[in-house]
Amino acid sequence: MQSVSTLERILRGTAISLVIFFFMFPIFWIFLMSFQTNETILRVPPSMVFEPTLTNYRSLISGTLEGSTATLEIRFMSNLYNSLFLSVTSVTVGLLLGVPAAYAFAKLKFRGSEDIAFTLLSFRFAPPLLVLLPLTIYFQKIGLADTYLGLIWVYQLIVLPLILWIVRGYFEDIPSDIEYAHRIAGHGFWSTFTKIALPLAGPGIAAAGLLAFIFAWNNFIFALVLASADKQPVTVGALAFITASGINYGQIAAGIMLSIAPTFALALYAQRYLVEGLSLGAVKG
Amino acid sequence: MYDKEKKLVQSYMNGGISRRGMLRGLASMGMTAATASVLVNAVATEALAQNGFDWKKHSGTNLKLLLNQHPYADAMIANLENFKALTGMTVEYDIFPEDVYFDKVTAALSSGSTEYDAFMTGAYMTWTYGPAGWIDDLNEYIGDDSKTNPDYNWEDMLEGVRNSCAWNGQPGGALGSDDAKQWCIPWGYEQNNLTYNSRLFREAALTVPTNLDELVGTAAEAKAKIDGAYGIGVRGSRSWATIHPGFLSGYANFGEKDLNVSDDGKLSAAMNTDISRAYHEKWVQMIQESGAPDWSTHTWYQAGTDLGAGKSAMIFDADILGYFMNGTGNSEAGNLAFAPFAANPDADAPTPNIWIWSLAMASAGKQKDAAWYFMQWASGPEHGLFGATEKDFVNPVRKSVWADAGFRSRLDTSYPGYVDMHDLSAPGAKIHFTAQPLFFDLTTEWAAMLQKMVAKELPVDEGLGQLEASVNRQLKEAGLG
Repeated sequence: MQSVSTLERILRGTAISLVIFFFMFPIFWIFLMSFQTNETILRVPPSMVFEPTLTNYRSLISGTLEGSTATLEIRFMSNLYNSLFLSVTSVTVGLLLGVPAAYAFAKLKFRGSEDIAFTLLSFRFAPPLLVLLPLTIYFQKIGLADTYLGLIWVYQLIVLPLILWIVRGYFEDIPSDIEYAHRIAGHGFWSTFTKIALPLAGPGIAAAGLLAFIFAWNNFIFALVLASADKQPVTVGALAFITASGINYGQIAAGIMLSIAPTFALALYAQRYLVEGLSLGAVKG
Repeated sequence: MYDKEKKLVQSYMNGGISRRGMLRGLASMGMTAATASVLVNAVATEALAQNGFDWKKHSGTNLKLLLNQHPYADAMIANLENFKALTGMTVEYDIFPEDVYFDKVTAALSSGSTEYDAFMTGAYMTWTYGPAGWIDDLNEYIGDDSKTNPDYNWEDMLEGVRNSCAWNGQPGGALGSDDAKQWCIPWGYEQNNLTYNSRLFREAALTVPTNLDELVGTAAEAKAKIDGAYGIGVRGSRSWATIHPGFLSGYANFGEKDLNVSDDGKLSAAMNTDISRAYHEKWVQMIQESGAPDWSTHTWYQAGTDLGAGKSAMIFDADILGYFMNGTGNSEAGNLAFAPFAANPDADAPTPNIWIWSLAMASAGKQKDAAWYFMQWASGPEHGLFGATEKDFVNPVRKSVWADAGFRSRLDTSYPGYVDMHDLSAPGAKIHFTAQPLFFDLTTEWAAMLQKMVAKELPVDEGLGQLEASVNRQLKEAGLG
């Protein structure tokens, strides 16, 4: 019995290791690349033995990129900051607007509620480029072009429908009887919302927030079209390493490691909520 | 600046002493080469300020530029303080990577944005921007003595390059015709010729090919003899950029065209001829036998990176791509050499198709005269010489810069064959495409058809027949055919 159990453990461990290896190898390879120069990365055949260098990280942090023919100024850290600022602020605004709206759509049936909810969802249907040109003209007229405020507003096209429709499902899952019981005990609507509904939908809100953050972080086109170079996120900034005088693979790898760090850390921290939240929403009672 | 140093630099500028002599003299006064180059340009700027032109007319104006991340932009930024000192203007700029640059330009222009006064563009793009009314005809500035300084010397620009930036807006209209509008000012340009790895060629006892048949043979020989490298790098992605470099340069050398223009101005496909078929067959054979295994994904970047890493024996692509790959950071740095390439054995000289990084003025801009001041300075002979000798502003578009002994000697020393290649190719270098609004669609389709031919999905003659039919249909639908 014991030997079967050991074998099973070994097999399970091997299978898990293989799966981890399969999924993590590209990240591991990029991690190794981030400590190499272009010359060692491009040698034939590729090798895992090399003299590690911090040059790539140093150039990203210092903002100067030594190219094959010239020294370029890069704004990677500023791009990283922009991504962080835009994503965090947009998701915060999205949660502040989206969670109460989701509750209203879930619990308060009013005329046109489905139409409004669907209209908000339809923001996700339109190809961004289709929306961007008229938006650019509008923004120029009202002075929002090339401002963080304008970008955060536009980012609501990404985060708001996502938060609203995910969180709405969780609110709908909360039995109304619990809320009625709280109301009968003499509490008001706001108290019911904050003390009963919000805590019960907490994992779902966390999951929606996390997904919205990832979507906002990965966005590329909105800031590109609507803002100047100093407000570009890391998704645009990362392209700076592809230059006419060559592709700087080492810096790209270091840039990837730095740019996935915030989402990776957030996902690790919130994975419990994410799994719990998503599975809760997936099953309707 | 101290008098002694200034006199030394002025003596160099007047041709009294050589560049080496000046640098040696400045070094003895404790100056580095980098500082010396700044001094040289400062003196050139001072000279420019004294040519009687009112450079300070727009003093206090703030210009905003949209730039592509490129060595040409780097050279300009390195010299920008001199422009500010000369004019009293201030300059801001946004730099975007090339992958997204033209999306940014198109969005800014099409929305009528007033944010950018001038921007970098390719000449091909002006075939869209010009007729759409997004950019200004610069002839009115070039020909206006009150707006253009007397030393600008427009005629100093290489003729083929200058004409390639001028189009009358009529589909099929000849570039540089008398009624053409100057949509952009050439800044720096690329010819398409051969860059080869002289180390690999020496080790494999290969000779530099001089026509298409030899190219096909040498590429195959290189692949057979060199371990771990393929024979020739040419672009292959499904993009217009696959057609315009080596492919079209060789094609034009046989006298072939992309489109016919009838007397009544109607366009039709011109690539389904006997000569074109023979050319396509050889090109396809070359890629099948000795091209990159993943040729259909190759763009500028892959073609260059493989050459710089010693994974390909040569490229038939932009000369400056080879120039960049010969720089530090590439394992084959210092091993690359350059050769002119005329695909047609009966041709007198190469006929490279060219890509031109240029400067254009946004029609929606609010400070056009001031923007022109910047454009004439950035495309002027002083900055051209500074960029070419001190930075990587190569290839310059001005004859005077190409005639500069310091520049030629710099190239000769580090880039064997480059100067001769350029001199031989420049007379035939121009845009060989027919200017028309469907340029990007039709050339992308051409590239897609090449992919099918190389993948053996279609024989060349059948592929060209299909391409001709499709091109003609699209031209008709657009009212051009």
